[in-house]
Amino acid sequence: MSSRVDASSDGENQRDEEESPEKSIWLNAHLDPMACLYTFSTSISLADLNADSDYKLLVADLGTGTFDMKLKVFKGTSLYMESAIIDLPIALVSFYMDTNDPRTPAIAVASGPFIYVYKNLRPYFKFTLPPLSVNAVEQDLWNQAKEDKIDVHVLIEMLESLKNEGSEGMLSVRSLKLLSLQPEEVESFANVHKHTTLKRQTVITCMGTMKKSVADDDAVSCLVIGTESKDVYVLDPEAFTVLAKMSLPSVPVFISVNGLFDVEFRIVVACRDGKVYTLKRGSKMAKACIELAAQAVGLERTGKSIIVGCMDNTLQCYSTKGKKLWTVYLPSNILTMSLMDHKARGFKAVMVALSNGEVRIYKEKYLVNTIKMSDAVTALKFGRFGREDSALILITKGGGLFVKILKRTATFEGKDLTPGPPPAQSIKLNVPKKTKLFVDQTLRERDSASGMHRTFQHDLYLLRLMSARSYVSALQKSLNPISSSATEPLKLSAQVQGIGPAFKLTVNLQNISSSVPSSKLLITFQFDDSLYALSKPCIFVPLLVPGLMYAYETLVECISDKGISDVIKVFVLHQGNSIPVITAVINMPVSEALVIV
Amino acid sequence: MGIFDKLANFLRLKKKEINILCIGLDNSGKTTIINRLKPEKAQAQDIVPTVGFTVEKFMSQSLNFTVFDMSGQGRYRNLWEHYYKTAQAVIFVLDSSDRLRIVVAKEERGLPVLFFANKMDCKDSLSAVECTKKMGLDTIRDKPWHICASNALTGEGLPEGVAWLTGQLNS
Ligand SMILES: Nc1nc2c(ncn2[C@@H]2O[C@H](COP(=O)(O)OP(=O)(O)O)[C@@H](O)[C@H]2O)c(=O)[nH]1
Ligand SMILES: [Mg+2]
Repeated sequence: MSSRVDASSDGENQRDEEESPEKSIWLNAHLDPMACLYTFSTSISLADLNADSDYKLLVADLGTGTFDMKLKVFKGTSLYMESAIIDLPIALVSFYMDTNDPRTPAIAVASGPFIYVYKNLRPYFKFTLPPLSVNAVEQDLWNQAKEDKIDVHVLIEMLESLKNEGSEGMLSVRSLKLLSLQPEEVESFANVHKHTTLKRQTVITCMGTMKKSVADDDAVSCLVIGTESKDVYVLDPEAFTVLAKMSLPSVPVFISVNGLFDVEFRIVVACRDGKVYTLKRGSKMAKACIELAAQAVGLERTGKSIIVGCMDNTLQCYSTKGKKLWTVYLPSNILTMSLMDHKARGFKAVMVALSNGEVRIYKEKYLVNTIKMSDAVTALKFGRFGREDSALILITKGGGLFVKILKRTATFEGKDLTPGPPPAQSIKLNVPKKTKLFVDQTLRERDSASGMHRTFQHDLYLLRLMSARSYVSALQKSLNPISSSATEPLKLSAQVQGIGPAFKLTVNLQNISSSVPSSKLLITFQFDDSLYALSKPCIFVPLLVPGLMYAYETLVECISDKGISDVIKVFVLHQGNSIPVITAVINMPVSEALVIV
Repeated sequence: MGIFDKLANFLRLKKKEINILCIGLDNSGKTTIINRLKPEKAQAQDIVPTVGFTVEKFMSQSLNFTVFDMSGQGRYRNLWEHYYKTAQAVIFVLDSSDRLRIVVAKEERGLPVLFFANKMDCKDSLSAVECTKKMGLDTIRDKPWHICASNALTGEGLPEGVAWLTGQLNS
């Protein structure tokens, strides 16, 4: 009985291990792959909406991308409230707009030229961007159309040329709409609209918040918005008047705000011209501080550094002065970025969601954690959710909502994964001390360097000369075992068998020509006749068929008992010619003394 | 007479002093449960959420009661272990309506024996069976444990848990 229980509990443990293969630092608190959310990091927020320290998740949902746009509020794992938004939401922030108790924050949703402000989850105020001045020529054209001085086609033609002059961004929405219409629709459109006054409105491209005069967590904040008209506005939180307006050379797309409006602030914006600009309190025009190699896809600030994710799969860090500090190369496209600010631990890092489904967490340039998701993540937010301080909200491309909670025991250890010199390079070698001999040699080398070089060169030339001479003599005497002559291409090898005093000498001969047979050859030997006696000092070789190997044997007897050996030279000769065709030199082994049994 | 007095009576017979540790994530209802277990005259009417952590000790006849209340930051959670040694029994309170943090509670499970799946009255709460599954209690085999759904506001479910605890301490 007890053994059965043990076995099953073992099985249980194994299953647990399988479920958490890499000892993840995250707990999966909630998974809803079918949440059907379509949103981005700039459009989600976590806020204590009811001032009960049960933080809600706010999502500005893009719906289908054309309709069904909604503001959704999640309480824990369930949908708490939703409310329709008329146009596509661009950004969502929560902020405290007053000092009333209980401290309930307001929600601002930017959409087109409007900001919808919600208080206690009810629509509270709609802010409209101030209208822009209308192009004088455009105004004049519409006035003429109104008075029927020109017909619609002339109007379109004139507007078209105005647009082509490069002032497309300066035209009103009405003119742009007219230019985009089908020919059959233009007449009615112009007739309907020409009587109303012409207005030029821009749209919001990004939104952030900035504390007004105190830095408390629940201090009153201003809204900071970037617009298509290349402006940045700071709005008063209570009256919604424009507190400050600043201009940029290009259209802002990502905004990051630091500081207090009444004291000192710095707004960093990534623009559509691939540059990052900084705006300070009191400045009317932006200062370009970073020129990026590729378009920005995300911008975050931690302390004194600006971290930009770019379209060339890099994560780049710059100082506030614009000096590049580091670059991290990523394996795939960046979809979104977000700051991970774990206040309880004083841990700040940047989370980067990649198109391969990974969410990477970088502390400085060090990768400290990777979360692998089944689908690419488009919206990320780390913060307090429900009653949990370290919750991570992930919304995927397929619309799934995932909530992870950082384990209390989690630690972040970052290794530098960027290529560079291996660590072994910095290990000091145990170099022995310089000896006196070494020092003396070094001194001598230094003193007589030229003399040593000359001696070396001299010896080298001698060596070359000697080798050249012996090569020539070898060629002349045919001392090499392979005949290179065209008439008798032969190969010779010889071997000795036996331990002595009787040896057997085998000579292998091969005609290496492809077709010409060799004939009239004989093999002779040259040896010291006081040492050796050969049974066949001369062997007549019959016709050699090309390619075949012929073996000829002779017995060699060592007739000396002095225990010395000598060489035997083997010559292959052509009959009637005293210069050998080929030569082989055989080093005879020392003969064993004759043993008489 | 408070419900816990029954347990206290039993313990007094044995002349034993006992430390009971009451742990669980913040806002799970520990303070409310402890309040319910106190003698009726000592019960507080309003309970404010505990901030940070508090150690509440009170005597209920011969019973030494130690409440260790921890905050969600988890900064104090590693202190629990130190109190385990001195405790004869542990009550773990779960907020069965906080579906999000049930995984966190599971992480912090430690060695408790009696689980209260509290706030069973909340409309979105998990049943005791669901809590058992989510907390992985079915894998505990080396020590006795018990779970019961409770409502600390009304006291529902608390006697059942205390009865079980009494039985355990008796054997
Ligand atoms: N609905 C409901 N609320 C409860 C229950 N138990 C406690 N609460 C409420 O939960 C909140 C937190 O309780 P508290 O005892 O302070 O939790 P602690 O942090 O664990 O000590 C209080 O507002 C209680 O009124 C319960 O069983 N049902
Ligand atoms: Mg409490």
